[in-house]
Amino acid sequence: MTKIAIKAEKISKAYFTDKIGTGTVTRDFERWLAGIRGKADPYLPAEPNSENNFNASQKVFWALKDISFEINQAEVVGLVGHNGAGKSTLLKILSRITTPTSGKITGTGHIISLLETGSGFHPELTGRENIHLNGAMLGMRKSEIKREIDAILFFAEVEKYIDVPVKRYSSGMYTRLAFSIASHLYSDVLIIDEVLAVGDHAFQLKCIKKLKSLSRDEGKTIILVSHNSENIKSLCHKEIKLTNGQLSCQ
Amino acid sequence: MKNNNSQSWTIQSTRSVTDFKLKQILNYRYLIYCLVHRDITALYKQTILGPLWLLIQPLLTTGVFTLIFGTLSKIPADGIFRPLFYLSGIITWNYFAECLNRTSTVFKDNRVLFEKVYFPRLIIPISIALSLLFRFSIQLLLLCTGIFIFHEHGTDFQYRWTIALLPLITLLMAFQGLGIGILMAALTAKYRDLTFLLAFSIQLLMYATPVIYPLSAVPVNLRWLILANPMTAIVETFRFSFFGSGSFSWINLLGSAATTIALLFAGLLAFHKAEKNFIDTL
Ligand SMILES: Nc1ncnc2c1ncn2[C@@H]1O[C@H](COP(=O)(O)OP(=O)(O)OP(=O)(O)O)[C@@H](O)[C@H]1O
Ligand SMILES: [Mg+2]
Repeated sequence: MTKIAIKAEKISKAYFTDKIGTGTVTRDFERWLAGIRGKADPYLPAEPNSENNFNASQKVFWALKDISFEINQAEVVGLVGHNGAGKSTLLKILSRITTPTSGKITGTGHIISLLETGSGFHPELTGRENIHLNGAMLGMRKSEIKREIDAILFFAEVEKYIDVPVKRYSSGMYTRLAFSIASHLYSDVLIIDEVLAVGDHAFQLKCIKKLKSLSRDEGKTIILVSHNSENIKSLCHKEIKLTNGQLSCQ
Repeated sequence: MKNNNSQSWTIQSTRSVTDFKLKQILNYRYLIYCLVHRDITALYKQTILGPLWLLIQPLLTTGVFTLIFGTLSKIPADGIFRPLFYLSGIITWNYFAECLNRTSTVFKDNRVLFEKVYFPRLIIPISIALSLLFRFSIQLLLLCTGIFIFHEHGTDFQYRWTIALLPLITLLMAFQGLGIGILMAALTAKYRDLTFLLAFSIQLLMYATPVIYPLSAVPVNLRWLILANPMTAIVETFRFSFFGSGSFSWINLLGSAATTIALLFAGLLAFHKAEKNFIDTL
């Protein structure tokens, strides 16, 4: 029986493009008063009223609207859509970098994500130090990181540079290391946003092979964004397509 | 490899207090260790002055204070040898001010990191408070050396039970710096212009703390004002624990502890609320 790994129900995300957000003391005071009196929040983002999701009167932009989907365990899901469709926003919500404005996502297991460029490496620290720091940020213990460090370096092919500060790495090496860390440390769900694009062709193939094996052999659920339709086709069991922040039917 | 719990989780818009899990922090022990370690070694990797600065800064300040407040304006010092009086005030104040300064800008300083990786954000202020404790203990050694050297200069240092108060006030001081710091971090994440105000207020607040004067020198009708500052009882008790003189009272200390706990709770709630969405607007 397939188990559901992630279930999203009516996820919406509004961005306040207003320079100060809701960040004025008086506005917040009004919200607080309304809350105490049991009234509705006077500054709750209004529904989008124009075609491009933009509510001009409140300077609110809806990056995602009523997104619902289910992802099964060990499934590889491709998230596709045009630039600005809301893919990264959705992944950021799943990774807890930000929260949805409304809606709910439930799921099980530990999530590791690799969002757009880099993954929070510290430029002055060496490759080894960064593996430790990055692993620790992903919630790993020292023993786990030590056990995997050789495999991480071998996969990323940066063994020679292990004691060099990562600011001396090329951007490809940087990405390789980031991918290698994320894919070797323990997780149930792996989220990857357009990272494959940076590596060279050989490394891309290697990543695809690795991702396939992670899902098939280790039962990891994988969600990835890629603008390369071949990658998506060869890897993914399922596609989620976003258009202007909404799900489009396949 | 399945040592991490395959727990179920929920992501929602509502900022409920129930999904506020302090226990989760413990899963990130190694991260705290790494961050504290990095912070401490960064001190040594800097210039030669790096580690020495830890000692020079309080010594220079003590010198200036002794000159100005001791020689020129003659503010009393509770019968404590002046340089030691100022030094003890300075190192406790330094901890507090530095902790506040650094934790209050946590969101701004770590923005790039917070956009990439999720971990409980509270870990950053906690590691700042811990690594500053390391500095504090170095400066504490400086104070002890000073006490040892100036043994005869009217300090008449003896071992007293009061030194047993030291761990308690250190803990209180750390919680206070952390609590107010994260409260300010939450506020400045939202209202950015508060940052300037905050840096300025910290400077001013020093004058409302008995760093350059003892509480006993404050007119009785103004004491409540100085005592409203929770750092007051800490600085006074700190001196009392070493020198046995000064105005120590359990009531003041308990008042300060109660304020600290209240501030810490307020800070935790505000920080928890701020960490959810600050990345959208920063
Ligand atoms: N912090 C923010 N504040 C305001 N608007 C934002 C913010 N972040 C993203 N947006 C807007 O949300 C929309 C979706 O952005 P998102 O990054 O999710 O797109 P994407 O699908 O990942 O695009 P791409 O293919 O270019 O990576 C964009 O129009 C963007 O301008
Ligand atoms: Mg994107």
